[in-house]
Amino acid sequence: MSQISDYVLPILLLLVMVAGIIKRVPLFDAFTQGAVEALRLVAELFPFFAAIFVCIILFRTSGLGSYLSTALGPVLEGVGIPAGLTELMIIRPLSGSGSLAVLEEIYALYGADSSIARAASVLVGSSETVFYVSAVYFSTVPNKKLRYGIPIALVSTVLGAIVSCLLVRYL
Amino acid sequence: MNIVFGLIVICALVLLCIQNPAATMGYLLEGTSEAVNLALKLVAVYALWMGMLKIAERSGIERGVSRLFRPLLRRMFKGESEHTQTLIGMNLTANLLGMGGAATPLGIKAIESMSKGEDHATDSMLLFFVLNLTSVQILPGTIIALRAAAGSATPSDIILPSILSTLITCVISVVLTYVFRFLWRKMESRKIAKTRAKANYEPNK
Repeated sequence: MSQISDYVLPILLLLVMVAGIIKRVPLFDAFTQGAVEALRLVAELFPFFAAIFVCIILFRTSGLGSYLSTALGPVLEGVGIPAGLTELMIIRPLSGSGSLAVLEEIYALYGADSSIARAASVLVGSSETVFYVSAVYFSTVPNKKLRYGIPIALVSTVLGAIVSCLLVRYL
Repeated sequence: MNIVFGLIVICALVLLCIQNPAATMGYLLEGTSEAVNLALKLVAVYALWMGMLKIAERSGIERGVSRLFRPLLRRMFKGESEHTQTLIGMNLTANLLGMGGAATPLGIKAIESMSKGEDHATDSMLLFFVLNLTSVQILPGTIIALRAAAGSATPSDIILPSILSTLITCVISVVLTYVFRFLWRKMESRKIAKTRAKANYEPNK
C-alpha cells in the first residue's frame, strides 16, 4: 500500500512539469514567482502561529488540558468515546504534532492493534486541527467574525470522534 | 477566536500562578519559538508547493483537475466566481491526496478570492471551512507509519474506517452547516425586526 502511495507525488509533479513544457510556460520563472509568494504568506501567518503556540503550550503546561480531560471524560464516555481517548480528543483540534505524540502514547499503553488504538488512529486520520485552520484560513482577509463557524467546528469534531469509535467497533 | 484565545491564556496563567510562577516566561517563549520553527519549516514546504502550483496554474492544468468537482461545487458555491471554484477544487484535491502543504496556501487563496471586504465570514466561506475541517483524505500515511513503528501487525487496516469516517462526518457536517445557516438567518432577521420595532415605537413615547 505504501508503495503505490510513494509514486503519487513524483508522478504528479512530473505531470505538472510536462504540462508546463507543452504549454510553453517559463518553468524557472514561474517556480520562483510562486516561491516568493510562499515567503510573503508565511510572514503574514507568523503572528497567528505565535498566538496559537502560546495557547497550546499554556494549555499543556498549566494542567488545563488534564483538568478538562477529567471533567469531560464521563460526558464523552456517555456518547461512546472511551476514556482513554479524552486527552486525544481535546488536543486534536489544537495541535497536529501534539495529537501524534498522544497517539504514540496510546499505542505504547494499549498496543497498536488494540481497538482503542485503532479508534484513536481513525480519529486522528479523519479529523483536522480545527483551531489552527480557523486562525490561518481567515488570517489574510478582513472577514474575522466567524459567526456560526466555531460552533459547527466543535460539533463536527465531536461527531468525527463518535463516528470513528462506532466504525472501529463494528468494522 | 478572540474569546477562545483570551479564555485559554487567562485560565492557564491563573493555574500557573498557583503552581509554578517561575516557569511561566520559559513556557511562553517555548511557545513562540515553536512558532518560529514551524514558520521556517513552512517556508520550505510552501516555497516548493507554491512554485509548482504556479507552473500548474500558468499551464492551465489546474482547471482540468478541478473539473472533477465542478458539478458539485457549482451547486454548493453558487454565486462564487469560476476562479474561486477552481481554487476550491484544487484545495480539495490536495487534501484528498494528503498534501497538506499544498492544500493550505490554496485554501487561503480561495478564502481571499471569496472576500469582498466584509467584516464577517460569508456563508460560502464557512461551507468551505467545514469541508476543510472534515479533512477528506484518502491515505493517512503518517498514522500508518506510526502504527507500523509501534509494532502493529496490520498497520493499514485503519484506511477503510478512516475514509468512511471522513465521508460520514463530512456529509453530516455539510448538512449541519446548511441547518446552522438557516437558523442563523432566522435569528438575525428576528434581531433586525426587533430593533426596527423599537425604532418605530420610541418616537411616539
